[in-house]
Amino acid sequence: MSLPQDPLWYKDAIIYQVHVRTFYDSNGDGIGEFRGLAQKLDYLQELGITAIWLMPFFPSPLRDDGYDIADYRSVHSSYGTLDDFKLFLEAAHQRGIRVIIEMVLNHTSDQHPWFQESRSSRDNPRRDWYVWSETDTKYRGVRIIFTDTELSNWAWDPVSKEYYWHRFFNHQPDLNYDNPAVREEMWDVMKFWLDMGVDGFRLDAVPYLVEREGTSCENLPETHAVLKELRAKLDRDFPGRMLLAEANQWPADLRPYFGNANEFHMAFHFPLMPRMFMGLKLEDRKPITEILQQTPSIPDACQWCLFLRNHDELTLEMVTDMERDYMYDEYAKDKSMRLNVGIRRRLAPLLDNDRRRIELMNGLLLSLPGTPIIYYGDEIGMGDNVNLGDRNGVRTPMQWDGGWNGGFSSADPESLYSPIMLNPVYGYQAVNVHSQKRFDHSLLSWMKRILRVRKSMPVFGRGSMEFLYPANHRVLAYVRELGKERILAVNNLSSSAQVVELDLQRYKGDILIEMFGKNIFPRVTDRPYLLTMGPYQFYWFRLRKI
Amino acid sequence: MAEGSILTDDFLRELMNVGEVDILIGVPTLNDAATVGQVVQCTRAGLLKYFPRQRSVIVNVDGGSRDSTQDLVRAASISDLAQGTNPSALRTLHCISTSHERSTENGMGLHTIVAAADLVRATICGVVSPDSVSIEPEWIERLLRPVSRDNFDMVTPIYRRNKFDGLLVRNLVYPMTRALYCKPVREPHPADFAFSGRLASFFLEQDIWSQPAIQNGAETYFVISAITGGFRLTQSFLGPRPRVDHSSGDLVQALRQSVGVLFWALGKNFPVCPTNSATETTTATGAEAELSMEHVRVNRKRLHQMFVHGLEELNPVLYSILSSATLAELNQAATAAEDSFRYSDDLWVRTVYEFAAAYHQEVISPDHIIQALAPLYRGKTYTFLVENRDSSAVDVEKNVENLCLTFERLKPYLLEIWNGRK
Repeated sequence: MSLPQDPLWYKDAIIYQVHVRTFYDSNGDGIGEFRGLAQKLDYLQELGITAIWLMPFFPSPLRDDGYDIADYRSVHSSYGTLDDFKLFLEAAHQRGIRVIIEMVLNHTSDQHPWFQESRSSRDNPRRDWYVWSETDTKYRGVRIIFTDTELSNWAWDPVSKEYYWHRFFNHQPDLNYDNPAVREEMWDVMKFWLDMGVDGFRLDAVPYLVEREGTSCENLPETHAVLKELRAKLDRDFPGRMLLAEANQWPADLRPYFGNANEFHMAFHFPLMPRMFMGLKLEDRKPITEILQQTPSIPDACQWCLFLRNHDELTLEMVTDMERDYMYDEYAKDKSMRLNVGIRRRLAPLLDNDRRRIELMNGLLLSLPGTPIIYYGDEIGMGDNVNLGDRNGVRTPMQWDGGWNGGFSSADPESLYSPIMLNPVYGYQAVNVHSQKRFDHSLLSWMKRILRVRKSMPVFGRGSMEFLYPANHRVLAYVRELGKERILAVNNLSSSAQVVELDLQRYKGDILIEMFGKNIFPRVTDRPYLLTMGPYQFYWFRLRKI
Repeated sequence: MAEGSILTDDFLRELMNVGEVDILIGVPTLNDAATVGQVVQCTRAGLLKYFPRQRSVIVNVDGGSRDSTQDLVRAASISDLAQGTNPSALRTLHCISTSHERSTENGMGLHTIVAAADLVRATICGVVSPDSVSIEPEWIERLLRPVSRDNFDMVTPIYRRNKFDGLLVRNLVYPMTRALYCKPVREPHPADFAFSGRLASFFLEQDIWSQPAIQNGAETYFVISAITGGFRLTQSFLGPRPRVDHSSGDLVQALRQSVGVLFWALGKNFPVCPTNSATETTTATGAEAELSMEHVRVNRKRLHQMFVHGLEELNPVLYSILSSATLAELNQAATAAEDSFRYSDDLWVRTVYEFAAAYHQEVISPDHIIQALAPLYRGKTYTFLVENRDSSAVDVEKNVENLCLTFERLKPYLLEIWNGRK
């Protein structure tokens, strides 16, 4: 199978996020690697995803799960070699699956040779590759992101006896993007991987590239200039490749990252995610509709990326204090579930392992405007282990079967990179791919079906959206439209049965066809369209004028 | 509207959209556009501030307003239909309104409110008056918190009033309720109050709603039946309540709404507590009573005149209501010059008890009995004003307490005359 040549491929994509370490260990050393991941591509193809987003796999001291890169042009030895990566990439492309890799632009590991050189002396040619200062008072007032671990954005370097700037952990010094040599070098790094054939980059922590006194040092015009420069080079040399922004910001602040379709192709919609969980718990669509009402329109060629869970905590930075307190109380009563400004839990435990709620949330993820990202393991309802520290509790080995190490590795259990889930509810014997493949009613089988339906109509990825605002606030309803294609999504956010009257007069005469069973529902008339919905039920209807 | 239902189809549809809630606040109205907007906005602010996580609804039951009352209530809704977001609200807040023209009395309004509360399974219910213009968001907390946190079934208000305001309550309804039900409730005819969902369901099931007395003063019956039903009752200090200047026409209506219901309720629950029972205490959050002392201009002379003329005019009617001894004493008192006229506590309590017995025995139509009380009440009011003209708040309270003790002391007299001995 060859990859379609559509330059807007990312708008139709269904992205699967995975860390190579977590997926499959083919050589029995307890750590997943590219050869293992390649062996599981058939599974991913069968699931129905169309792109893989790989978390950092570069050489790294792994003090931040690979987001502390020590060499941008190689593969961490635990995950294989560059050749292994190339083989994996080719195999993925053969199955019609694109590969998006992580690129951490903002900072390196303090073990990176660039930083080692930079700190070696104040006269070193690479001194200016990082942000140094004699005092720790510059950029005062800039917020600290990892509030649980860091007290300052400056760290003292005992070697060169100056402070260096870091927005994340103190072992992750920020690169100095005011230096043209840094910008050129990072483009070269990207080019290295693009030449190899990767389809896109998820650019990490992009709001923080440039610092300026008297500002928040976030989202600065100078940062946007750097990003536009990279995009121009990408379009010039590698048309059809994609840039995805990680910028945990309010929608209005995110909008500039799309520019005039000359900066990022896609950006995560961070504020929407917690509000989907909030809406579900409140049984009220208000948080969801409000944030989408506040979301500015973006250029036609651009796209939001939507997700329910990922490798990080469920971030609560983009909610109000009142909303954050509510989320903590409802989703992280146990304080060990809280980390930084968020909740370190997977999808299924967050939703009390309630199959109806898991389906509803996936239904929203796949029908709201944007490209959905599925976090590995969530398609089978994997659990988490908050006792593992930091965010490692949501990064446990993929559970393939009920056998040795859940089918992840033949190594001794003690040598696995992370303990596998063992508890009776979420452990590998209860939750695994093998057993779920056997039953049509399993979550995995259901996920395959819904992804198939999603892929059946481009309107999901590219269509416009209009909310219907029925008087029943527990029901979230919207129409997606693309050309003559129209679908109606109706979601009952409540735990009880609901009656809803929808104003569908605009579609008078249309027949509703339920998209899973293909059953015909009554024709739309002048009168409100009455639907009764079970707890957490959702419908996707195709509107057809026949 | 379906036959036999008090809920219109449109209102029922609105309730379906509201769904299950934790808190329901009812606002009965009739042509209250001048004040209801402020009251509802304050109620909303109180809900958002003190109960941000609870599912709430404000239900307006309107008696057929010709002004914009209903629109003003609906405008307080918080939903994604309104333009602009409301970051202070976690969730949707429905403010819905229904109208009924079948009756202009408040019983229909309260009936609809408890029916709505029952249908949406509200566990915490409140009623705020559209003329409570001094309402603050804190009132909502003070009314609802005892229900939500302390499992009380009914919360009645305590207001800071002028010493010459609320005299009907102070001279009759409060002391008589306290004496007969052994439960001191400062505002037995509350304008703003709260109750549990359990009590709402209890009210709803009562076969009382077609009674004329209930149509006039369901609030008083709520309080009495909460006491007699063994529900947990408490009081909450809300703050100042501005004086409402009642015209003489309003007095009869006020008597119907409070005294009429009190008399009617006695018939359902008599004797309510033994004559030797000590008065229980009713807990109160905040001040138990608070009086403001600012000067209020009252035409005492006119009150006295209305007493004297009313007594004279109604003597034939009063003859059928009062004992001859009481009537004679009243007639004697009326001969006194204005300056020396006094309506003693003892005579007042006997008068009221005899009216209550007459109401029970239906010696004449109940409404005529209530109307006949009006001039006598004016006489008592005159006395109160004179006796407390220069009194401090403490002295006024002491006088009210003495009256309460008189009502309690003469309770055997009421028992004696209740079943016919005059």
